[in-house]
Amino acid sequence: MLLILEQLLNGLQLGITLFLMSAGLTLVFGIMQVINLAHGSFYMIGAYVGATVAGHTGSFPLAVGAGVAAAMVTGCLVEFLVLRHLYAREHLDQVLATFGLIMFFNELTRVIWGRQPLFVEVPGPLARSIELLPGLPYPAYRLAVIAVGLLVAAGLWFIFARTRLGMQIRAGAVNREMIGALGVNIKLLYTLVFGLGAMLAGLAGIMAGPILAVESGMGESILILTFVVIVIGGIGSIRGAVAGALLVGMVDTLGRAFLPTILKLFLAASTADGVAASLSSMAIYILMAIVLVVKPRGLFPAHA
Amino acid sequence: MTDPLLQIVGLCKSFGALRATDDLSFDIERGHIHALIGPNGAGKTTVVNQLTGDLAPDAGAIRFKDRDITRLKPHQRARLGIARSYQITHIFENLTVAENMGLALCARAGHNFRFFRHWRRASLVKNDLDAALERVDLLPRADLTACHLSHGEKRQLEVGMTLVGQPELLILDEPMAGMGPGGTVELTRLIRRLKGQVTILLVEHDMDVVFSLADRVTVLVYGANIATGTPAEIRNNRDVREAYLGDNGDA
Amino acid sequence: MPSRKHLTLGGGLFLLLLLPPAATLAGEPYLISLASRMLIYGLAAASLDLLLGYGAMISLGHAAFVGVGAYVVGICHFHNFESQPLFAWPFLLPGSENGLVVLPAAVLVAALAAFVIGALSLRTTGMHFIMITLAFAQMLFYFFVSLEKYGGDDGLTMYARTKLPGLDLGDKTQFYYLCLAALVLFLFLAARLVHSRFGLIIRGAGNNDRRIRGLGVASSRYKLVTFVIAGGTAGLAGALLANQTEYVSPGLMHWTLSGELMVMVLLGGLGTLYGPVLGAVVFLLLEETLAMYTEHWMLYMGPFLVVSVIFFKNGLLGLLTGRKARDD
Repeated sequence: MLLILEQLLNGLQLGITLFLMSAGLTLVFGIMQVINLAHGSFYMIGAYVGATVAGHTGSFPLAVGAGVAAAMVTGCLVEFLVLRHLYAREHLDQVLATFGLIMFFNELTRVIWGRQPLFVEVPGPLARSIELLPGLPYPAYRLAVIAVGLLVAAGLWFIFARTRLGMQIRAGAVNREMIGALGVNIKLLYTLVFGLGAMLAGLAGIMAGPILAVESGMGESILILTFVVIVIGGIGSIRGAVAGALLVGMVDTLGRAFLPTILKLFLAASTADGVAASLSSMAIYILMAIVLVVKPRGLFPAHA
Repeated sequence: MTDPLLQIVGLCKSFGALRATDDLSFDIERGHIHALIGPNGAGKTTVVNQLTGDLAPDAGAIRFKDRDITRLKPHQRARLGIARSYQITHIFENLTVAENMGLALCARAGHNFRFFRHWRRASLVKNDLDAALERVDLLPRADLTACHLSHGEKRQLEVGMTLVGQPELLILDEPMAGMGPGGTVELTRLIRRLKGQVTILLVEHDMDVVFSLADRVTVLVYGANIATGTPAEIRNNRDVREAYLGDNGDA
Repeated sequence: MPSRKHLTLGGGLFLLLLLPPAATLAGEPYLISLASRMLIYGLAAASLDLLLGYGAMISLGHAAFVGVGAYVVGICHFHNFESQPLFAWPFLLPGSENGLVVLPAAVLVAALAAFVIGALSLRTTGMHFIMITLAFAQMLFYFFVSLEKYGGDDGLTMYARTKLPGLDLGDKTQFYYLCLAALVLFLFLAARLVHSRFGLIIRGAGNNDRRIRGLGVASSRYKLVTFVIAGGTAGLAGALLANQTEYVSPGLMHWTLSGELMVMVLLGGLGTLYGPVLGAVVFLLLEETLAMYTEHWMLYMGPFLVVSVIFFKNGLLGLLTGRKARDD
C-alpha cells in the first residue's frame, strides 16, 4: 500500500514535469499552428545553465532564476530569428528548421560543457526525507518539485482565467482569426507565448537536474513524451495538457513499478520480467493509440 | 412546359425567429437554365443547401425525377444526379489541368488501386479526357499547372470536373463571384454551351448574366418566391421592380 | 532530344556503375563501402519522399521501419547462428541466413509495422500526424531496447552476411551492385507508381485532401497503402544496412535518423524521387567531410539547415535540372 502511494507520488512528479513542458508547447501549437521540435532544447538549456550556476554559487534559487532566464531568452531569440519566418510555411519546413536547431543546441552544449553528464546536488535544506506517513519517507526535494509545479499550474490558471493577456491567448488557441480581430498585437503575443513556453520548459529542466543527469540530448526524450501528452490531451488545450501529463506520468511510473509483479502472477518469472520490461516501456504509447482510436483529436480538443 | 426535372413544393426553413425559406415552390424544367435571384440575405444559399441535402427543411418536399428526395443524404442525391459547384473553387492547385480532370474521371471508378500503367493510358481516362477538357475550353491548357490558371479558368475547370460525374442537374452557386469582366464573359459563354447537355440552376447576383442566359427566373425575397417567369416577364413584373430591381437599380 | 533531367539521371547512373572499378584503380576501395551506404540511405530517403513529397504525409518516424528491417535480418541470423528456433509455437520456425527468406521477411515485417502505425496515425492529419509517427517510432525504439535477448541497448553483432545464390555479399563490389540494383528497381517502380491512377489519387490527396474526398474517393485507404509501401522499402534498406555494418542496434531507429532522412529528402528536392538519393549522397559526404575537420560538425550542419529551409526551397535536384520541386 505504502509502495503504491510512493509510486503515485513519483508519477505525480513526472506528470508535473510533463505539464510544465506541454503547457507552453500546446499553446504554441494551438495559437501559431507551428510545430516546434526545439522545445526540448529550452529544457536542456535551463538544466545546463541551472546546473552551472548552482555549481559555482551553491545557491539553488539563483540557479533557478538563471536557468529560467536563459531558457526564456533563448526561446524569444529562436522565435524572433527563425520561427517568425516560418509561420506561413508548411509544417515540413518547420520540422526541418527546428530539427536543425536541435542539432545546433545539442552540439553547442557539448562544446561548452563537454560530453560528460553534469550532476546537480540536491539543495541543502531539501536533501532529506520527510516521513509523510508512518513508514513512508519521501525525498523532500521531490515534494518541492511537486509543490512548485502545482504553484505554477495555479499561476497559469490565474493568468488564463483572470487576466486580459490570458483571455487573448485562450481566444487565439481556439480561433486564430479572432485575436487579429480583437486588435491584439499578434507579433508581440506570439513572442510572449513562445517565451512563456520556453520559460516553463527551462524551469522543468532545472528541477530535473538533481533527479536526472544533465546531458546533451536530454531534451528530446522528454520532448517525445511531451508530444504524447499533447496528442492525448488535444492541441491548444491547457486542460488537456493537465490531464495528458498526469495520465502519462502515472501510466509510465506505475507500469514500470508494478507490471513485473503483476505479470509474475500469470507467467514464469524470467518471461514475466522480459515481457514487463517491453510492455512498460511501451505503455504510454499504447495509451496514446487507444486515445487515438476513441478520440482522434485528443481528450480536450481546443478547436471545436 | 410539362417535364419538370426538379419540383420544390412548399419548402420552409426557419433559423429561430428568422424564416429563411418561406413556403417556397417552383419547378425546374428539364433542359432549362433556371435562375434563382434575389437581394443579399434573401436566402438563396439556404435553398441551395436544402436542394443538395446539406440542410434539412422544416416542411415541404423536394422531388427530383418524380422521386421524393427530401430526406435523402447529400451523397445519395449526388448519386441520383444532382451536382453542385461551390462559390470557392476547389481544385488541385499543384497538379496540371489534365491531372485535375483525370482525377475527376478516376473518381468515378470504385477504386483506383492500379499501380503501374500511366493514368493517362488507363481505359477509364483515355477516351474521355480530351472531350472533358474540350467541353470547358481547357484543352489547350492541359499541361499547365492549375495554380497558373486565371480565376475564370479555375472556375471552368471546377465546373468541368463536376460535369464528369454526368449530373442531370448542375447547381452553380454564384459562379461569377469575384471574377473580372473577362472571366465573366468566358464563363457566360461556357454556361450557354452547356445548355441542352445538362439542366442548370444558376444562383447569381449579376443581372446581365441572368437575363442573357436564363430560360426562367425565380425571384426570392425574404425566403419567398415573389415571381417566376421568363426574363421578359420578370423585367416587367411590378412586384419585382419594387421589391428588388428598384432597390438595386445598379445591380 | 533527351531532356536535361534525363541527361542528369543517365549521367548519374553511368557514374554509379563505374564507381567500383574506378575506386579499385584509384586504390581507394574504402569508397565502395561509403558509396554502398549512400545508396542504402538513398533508398530509404526515396521511400520517405513517397510520403513527404507526394502524399504530404509528414512522417517523423521513418527510421523505425529501417530499424525493423535491420532487426529482422539480425534476429534471423542470430537464431541461425545459435541453432535455436525463432519460435516453436504455433509452428516451428528456425532462423535463417538465406537472403531469399530474410530479405522478403524484412520487407514484410516492416510493411506490417507500417500498416499498424499508419492505420493509427492516419486517423489524424497535420501536426498530430507528425507527433504520432514520431511517438510510435520511439515506442519501437524502446521496444528493441527492452529486448535483452537481442542485446538491448547494445544491439546484435552479425557473424555472417546474408547468403544469396550466386552472390557473395561479403564482397564489397558485389554488395555495392546489389544495393544499386535495389535502388534502381525501386526508383523505376516508384516513378511508375506516382504516375499511375493510384499515384494520381495520392498526389491529389497530398495537394487537397478535402477536395479528393469531395470527389467521393476514400483517400485514407490510398494513403495507408502508400505508407505501407514506403515502410516496406525502408525495411529493405534496413536489411541492406544490417549487412553493410554487420551490426544492428536500436540506434538505427533513433528519431534523429528519421530527421536526417527528412533532411536528405528536402536537400535533394521534395517530390522528385531521384532528388532524395542525391540528397543522401550530399548529406553523408557533408557529414564525412565536416567530421574530418571537427567533431562538432552538427554545430555547422544545424544552422545550415535552418538557413536553407528559410531561403532555398527547391532542393539540389532543382539546381541541377532546373525543375521546381514544388509549384507554389
